[in-house]
Amino acid sequence: MSDAALLDVRDLVVRYGDTTAVDHVSFTLAPGETLALNGPSGCGKSSTALAVLQLRRPDSGEVRFEGRELTTLTESELRPVRPRMQPVFQDPYGSLSPRHRIRDAVAEPLRIQGQRPTRTQIAELLDRVGLDPSYGDRRPHELSGGQCQRVGIARALASEPRLLVLDEPVSSLDPSVRAGVLNLLADLQDDLGLGYLFICHDRAVVRHFAHRVIEMRDGRISSG
Amino acid sequence: MKLTAHRSAALTRIVSLVAVVATVGLLPWLSHRDPALTVLRARSAEREPTEEALSAIRADLGLDAGPLALLRGWAADLLHGDLGTSWVSGTDVLPSVVAGLQVSLGLMGAALGIAVALAAVLVAPVLVRGRGSAGAFAAMLAAVPEFLLATVALLVCGVWLGWLPTAGWAGPEYLVLPALALGVPAGGLLGRLVADALPAVLDERWVELWRGAGVRRTAISAAALKRVLPPLVPQFGMVAVGLTGGAVAVEMVFAVPGIGRTALGAAKSQDLPLLQGSVLALLLLGLLTGGVAVAVRHRLLGPALRDAGLTLPPPRPVRAHPAIPLTLAAVLALTIGWGLLRDPYTLNTAARLAAPSWAHPLGTDALGRDVLARLGHGAASTVGTAAAICALSLLLALALGFLPGVAAGAADIANALPPVIVGILVAAATGPGTGGAALAVALISWPALSAHAAALVQEVRASAFLTAQRAMGATPFWILTRHVLPSVAAPVARHALLRLPGIALALASLGFLGLGAQPPTPEWGLLLDESRAYVERAPWAALAPAVALALLAGLAVSGAAAAQGRRRTPKETTVALR
Amino acid sequence: MPSADPLLTVRNLRIAFDGIETIRGLSFDVRPREVLAIVGESGAGKSLTARALLGMVPRGATRSGTIEPDLAAQRGRRISLVPQDALSALSPVHRVGDQLAAAVRSVARVPRREARRRAVAALDRVGIPDAERRARAYPHEYSGGMRQRAVIAMATINEPDIVVADEPTTALDEEHRDQVLRVLAERSEAVGAALVLVTHDMEVVRAHADRVLVMYAGRLTELGPADEVLTRPRAPYTAGLLASLPEHAPRARRLPFLPGTPPAPGTLPPGCAFAPRCPLAAGPCHETEPEPQQVEERTLACHHWPELPHPATELFHE
Repeated sequence: MSDAALLDVRDLVVRYGDTTAVDHVSFTLAPGETLALNGPSGCGKSSTALAVLQLRRPDSGEVRFEGRELTTLTESELRPVRPRMQPVFQDPYGSLSPRHRIRDAVAEPLRIQGQRPTRTQIAELLDRVGLDPSYGDRRPHELSGGQCQRVGIARALASEPRLLVLDEPVSSLDPSVRAGVLNLLADLQDDLGLGYLFICHDRAVVRHFAHRVIEMRDGRISSG
Repeated sequence: MKLTAHRSAALTRIVSLVAVVATVGLLPWLSHRDPALTVLRARSAEREPTEEALSAIRADLGLDAGPLALLRGWAADLLHGDLGTSWVSGTDVLPSVVAGLQVSLGLMGAALGIAVALAAVLVAPVLVRGRGSAGAFAAMLAAVPEFLLATVALLVCGVWLGWLPTAGWAGPEYLVLPALALGVPAGGLLGRLVADALPAVLDERWVELWRGAGVRRTAISAAALKRVLPPLVPQFGMVAVGLTGGAVAVEMVFAVPGIGRTALGAAKSQDLPLLQGSVLALLLLGLLTGGVAVAVRHRLLGPALRDAGLTLPPPRPVRAHPAIPLTLAAVLALTIGWGLLRDPYTLNTAARLAAPSWAHPLGTDALGRDVLARLGHGAASTVGTAAAICALSLLLALALGFLPGVAAGAADIANALPPVIVGILVAAATGPGTGGAALAVALISWPALSAHAAALVQEVRASAFLTAQRAMGATPFWILTRHVLPSVAAPVARHALLRLPGIALALASLGFLGLGAQPPTPEWGLLLDESRAYVERAPWAALAPAVALALLAGLAVSGAAAAQGRRRTPKETTVALR
Repeated sequence: MPSADPLLTVRNLRIAFDGIETIRGLSFDVRPREVLAIVGESGAGKSLTARALLGMVPRGATRSGTIEPDLAAQRGRRISLVPQDALSALSPVHRVGDQLAAAVRSVARVPRREARRRAVAALDRVGIPDAERRARAYPHEYSGGMRQRAVIAMATINEPDIVVADEPTTALDEEHRDQVLRVLAERSEAVGAALVLVTHDMEVVRAHADRVLVMYAGRLTELGPADEVLTRPRAPYTAGLLASLPEHAPRARRLPFLPGTPPAPGTLPPGCAFAPRCPLAAGPCHETEPEPQQVEERTLACHHWPELPHPATELFHE
């Protein structure tokens, strides 16, 4: 299993001052698999997500992504790896710059890599998440929460990642809208073989959506 | 992260304070003009200023020993309670400072009373009606500079109506006008702080719980007041500090022998020991008020102090129709434009103090110069200097916005220093002039912008979309140039623009006190000061710059309000509907 | 569940902001001692409806229709509110006991000491340990769960007939959520109050409500006994909402879902507000708004209800 793992996390520890937010957490994630981290607020699931993405460098432990150890890489060595593991955040509005048009937000990952994405490329990305390409001209505040979340997913897909770290991606959405976004994520996984690390506090959603569930409590894995 | 920012803010505060005190101590060395000459003239008018006599005086004053020795000697004397001897009168400085301080404390006490009463009047309707805001009116009052109000009060109550004495310090009736001039802007500011904060507090969740549980409106109003005051106490301290600056102008206009007038006189006559003593006294007064504010806050809050929820919700913006600032700006621009086409320097002794006519639409001044022309040209220099200060502050703010600790600490110190005091210090060091006044105003206007920039930088850095940028593999340079700077630069630039009228007013107040532009330069503050002597014969000469300054104050307030009112996104309104 | 005379009757309630109606003709009753849940998605107008019951409609809103009797003047004694986000619902600068005592003294003329005694007793009843000492503490000295309980204690201290709770559990974990709702239901029952529970959480409805009012775009969609509405919904919107919940779906990869998003006030389509998202919409649905009508124990607003499968959930499972 460990050879084929997309993500292999061992003995991950994250501390904030005196408190240990993540306490020796280990798990693996295969391509095409959804692994859920579930638990009450403050249990360390979001800290785990940030540490996996190396957005908060862990205090100790290993994070092996596509066979490569990330914790020992410098920030500039990490930069080429980052596009292959992308986050989607809880707050659909906050994760998009309010000043930029949707088109530019979706194109940014490609621009960062020095590419010049065409209009058709962006239209395809928007279409892929079920948005009409005409939305490209709008700004985030002109969209509903569910639509913004789709834009966030389109942006994450732009750099052709292998792993999506989904941090409470549907928690701020209404139920009827939430179902559509969950279906979209499931379709994308089937089509692209993406691995999902799915952070969610809602047991019913987790039970429905994830292949495997890890329960966390006080920074530790309590079952799973 | 937060802790280090806290610590560096504290460090900046201490460093700034030491720097200010050291500047005071080094004044004799900093002022490039030779004080020995001043002292010689003052002590013995008949003696020739020979090199020998001058160096004897220099040695006597300790000026030849170099800056460090001078500072050391001054500090040592200070610790013994010795403030030195006046260069002009030759008497001890300490008694004059104490006497001035007593008068000023009396004046400030009365002014504070008026301020609190006025603030209560402004806040009452907000409490009674539960919302709405007296903020706009209060902001208007707060924006009127003391020197302007003092001049108008002198003109109306003292000269035209003859109700109250306008000069001196001989009884309680002498207190009324100065205390009003000093207290009304402070009361406007106090009232505005509370009235702006109250509606947001009345929107807090607990008010819903209390209302829903049947608590009476009066009890809720009292509770809201208790909720709103403690976080504002430090700002109240700043209002009290502001009184020390205002006192200088007010004491000058009404010839009140207080510490502010003493300091101003000492600065003008280059009597540096007296100036050092009085400025130190003013600083001490400011520090004491700050300390009292902290103590009051502790007393008010008690054990609730540690709650993070004690920060106030952001005040609901006072909204003004954009037509108001646009109209004010248009009237000012028209007047200034018309005046610029005319000649401000030609003397015409035949038409001195002429009433308004077609030839001189706003009349003439004591030398027969056209008031409209002087107003127009004065605006060009005042506003031009203010614009330069704004631009400079903006650049500094953007650079220092990335050092939040420094920005916050500097902002604290700048808030505790009224522009007039800084103006006096700078004028004493460089001599009065446009450059010195500009330096003084610039010194205290950049920190507010830096603090704003620092807050925005922190907000942007903490936002999820920036985390997303890092996750995409964006370089720090990309993030800085594509996201952080654009998000920060535009709002801070708007803020700088909004401060322009306020900065122009500060420049005018220094000009009014004789610390800025010098005659015959047409400068608004100076125009007002020059016309004061003839106010009974030619009120229009004083009225024109007074009205222009009032319009400027109105522009400062309504411009800010209109800009704030506009910044409401559709998203916020739908949330409010729920 | 006694269906005696209602405590409160709401008829044709309409609330508008700047001429845009947010509540568009709503009628329902609150019965003695029942738990009535009001559910709907964001923008449906459920919180505003709850406020209207207390006479606490925001300033700037225009209201028409009747709410009988008008209890606004008797808040605390007859009706009280547990606001949204109870974690920030206590004043940070007042002792918790003093806040409860203020509520007592505003309703009953009792001496200060008696009010304090009642405050301590109320805190004790919601399970706050060492209530005598805790009454002198400030909210920040309380844990989240204790603050929530204190809020419930304050809302029930004057033994009202109706307690209105507006999303009392939004910010809470599942464990805390159940605990708080249990205390809320217990206290309401103990003082003999009806509980009006505004929520978007169907699990809460299932566990606690006697009747449920489903709202969409400011109108009634379906109203009836909670267990029946949840298991056998009749209105297409209720059915779609229930079908899209993961807890109702089999462990499959795709959930049935409603296309589009709930409409914002002022951007409503002509006819039935739900028509653009409804699989059955045809003919009259795009022209006239359906009026609520009594169907057995339910009240329904749908042009097509006679043709609907029962339960309507079948519409959404292909």
